[in-house]
Amino acid sequence: MSGPILDPRYALPFAEAALPVLRNAQLRKNVAHAIDTIQAKRARLVAEKADWQALRDAASAIRSHVLEHLPGYLEEFETRCTAQGGIVHWAADAAEARDIALKILAEAKADSVVKVKSMTTAEIQLNAALEQRSIAVFETDLAEIILQLGDEEPSHIVVPALHVNRAQIREIFAREMNLPNLSDEPQALAEAARVFLRRKFLTSPAAISGANFLIAESGAVAVVESEGNGRMCLTLPQTLITIAGIEKVLPRFRDLEVFLQLLARSATGERMNPYTSLWTGVTPGDGPQNFHIILLDNRRSSILARPVERQTLKCIRCAACMNTCPVYRQTGGHAYGSVYPGPIGAILTPQLMGMQHAQSLPFASTLCGACYEVCPVKINIPEVLVELRAEVVAQGHQSIGGLFERLAMQVTSFVFRDERRFQVAQTFLRFLARLLTRKDGWIHALPAMGGKWTQTRDLPGLPPQSFRMWWRDNEAREPAKDA
Amino acid sequence: MATREKLLASLHAATTFRGGDRPLTYSALARPYIDAGKRSLSERIALLIERLRGYDAEVSETTPQELHATITYVVEKSGRKQLVVPVGLPATWLGPATNWQRDNGSAHGTIDAADGVMTAASCAIADSGTIALHHGPLEGRRLLSLLPDWHLIVLHSCQIVETLPEYFARFVEPPGLVTWISGPSATADIEMTRIKGVHGPRFLSVIIVHDELSRPT
Repeated sequence: MSGPILDPRYALPFAEAALPVLRNAQLRKNVAHAIDTIQAKRARLVAEKADWQALRDAASAIRSHVLEHLPGYLEEFETRCTAQGGIVHWAADAAEARDIALKILAEAKADSVVKVKSMTTAEIQLNAALEQRSIAVFETDLAEIILQLGDEEPSHIVVPALHVNRAQIREIFAREMNLPNLSDEPQALAEAARVFLRRKFLTSPAAISGANFLIAESGAVAVVESEGNGRMCLTLPQTLITIAGIEKVLPRFRDLEVFLQLLARSATGERMNPYTSLWTGVTPGDGPQNFHIILLDNRRSSILARPVERQTLKCIRCAACMNTCPVYRQTGGHAYGSVYPGPIGAILTPQLMGMQHAQSLPFASTLCGACYEVCPVKINIPEVLVELRAEVVAQGHQSIGGLFERLAMQVTSFVFRDERRFQVAQTFLRFLARLLTRKDGWIHALPAMGGKWTQTRDLPGLPPQSFRMWWRDNEAREPAKDA
Repeated sequence: MATREKLLASLHAATTFRGGDRPLTYSALARPYIDAGKRSLSERIALLIERLRGYDAEVSETTPQELHATITYVVEKSGRKQLVVPVGLPATWLGPATNWQRDNGSAHGTIDAADGVMTAASCAIADSGTIALHHGPLEGRRLLSLLPDWHLIVLHSCQIVETLPEYFARFVEPPGLVTWISGPSATADIEMTRIKGVHGPRFLSVIIVHDELSRPT
């Protein structure tokens, strides 16, 4: 038995990958429970914020402004960070970012690293590369430990182990930490993780983190977290490597007043997350004395060049979109075949990986717009989904299926352009529908392609009259009675 | 170096102005959100206390004259004997019954072995129950307030603002190091339930000093 594959190059199309989840009652229960909890908390805290919409507007404007001026802000960040003793690296793609990190670790003679939870390092599949070079990797976020020890895949970008419940976590910890008498009380599980990692924090020569924000005016980096594992990684080891997407930059320190008010409320339903750390280059006598930051492109520059898709880069990775998504709620994260699941994953993954991969993801949505409504930086996800769908369709034009689709559309257009043709087609289709309607008044099976629709649902039979027929009869009988 | 030049060039190409609405300059960005709160000092303090207690932190209030006695009382009540403090903390805060260790670049192990840590702070934001450390001589190195299991913070009432934008208005010059603390270490990773205490201090105590009640001596 193999687990879910979170690499768009090898993952199954969304609809197929979702099937095992839909059949797994325990997993769906775990996901629904977690989502309901966080949604209730978020709703309460957003409601108490009188200026919530104003904060969203400001955040959206700041992020758009940054993207419009991205090269300038990145250079400003580089200058300031370097002046404070940080070393700035630029990586065109995942492979280059991994190579830079490996080289730094080799120079630091580090044979183990502690890691702060980071989506960017997951995106570039850093852990596997480190382990290949015999560097021991210790994830330190509680959820990441659960996944690492349990050999599980992440299913959410903020609470990656939300598909695992406390009894399952107990099993993993009891087995992997050799604690047969461990209880499944969350407090006891957290204590086990605390003891397990404390020595690693104190002895590890190097740490690797992501970044939530880079501050251009001062060269500072900010990491938002809850447990204190981030603070440990950011202050105890001698060498620190931070890997950040180029879009993470904010112009000024002050801009955090907008994003820190939005982020925790959107992500975990808290007024503020327990800990946020900000550091600037190297501080003598306090924290790592070798600080490297790797600025990662990995196709972000090509997303930036597209007018509609560009807004994808405004994302601050809060996960509000997946928490509210009716599709994610049913399928969980694994079906998306990427470390970025949910609505943001559906638009980010195909763009980061190239449109030839993850072609099913832009269709893994009902376009209901709930994600747009909750997004703290107002990314119009449905708009980007539609744009990407168009691109997938355009790419498919060369295929046989694409040819049929184009032909069908041309015929439809031909029929709809003329009233007489439309009426003939309608009469013919009504006749066909009558043949398919069963005694109970429902259509249970459509032929050919239509069979996909009726596989999971029935279609009501047509009423005896169409609207056009009704109109013709009633107009004839009661002319101009409404004077 | 080649990557840097190539990447910046492609970013410049991607963001070249191509007509339409001219992009806004930074100073023209609208900030329609609430910047300053309307609460009085006592209401601000009350809100901060409510938020801190909501996070399971312990809060005591005192006057400048009674600060020393309050610290002694809070530390004794905690039952902790071995406390570390930053180099710059006023000697007048430190009572005789406790073994205070000043951090002069102590080894990580020494700090890890302490029962607790006492520091000052730079600011507190009532609205979210957040305390900001900027890690100056009164607040200590970052790991000092991280490794021990108990963190006692002495906060002055004049340091309490109501909203996050008020905090940023106070610190126009960006500090190099900041830790924003909102309650003790916590996680929501197990079934989305906030539980106290993972890696950072599991116990947070705050003493609020009412400067406005200061009596001239």
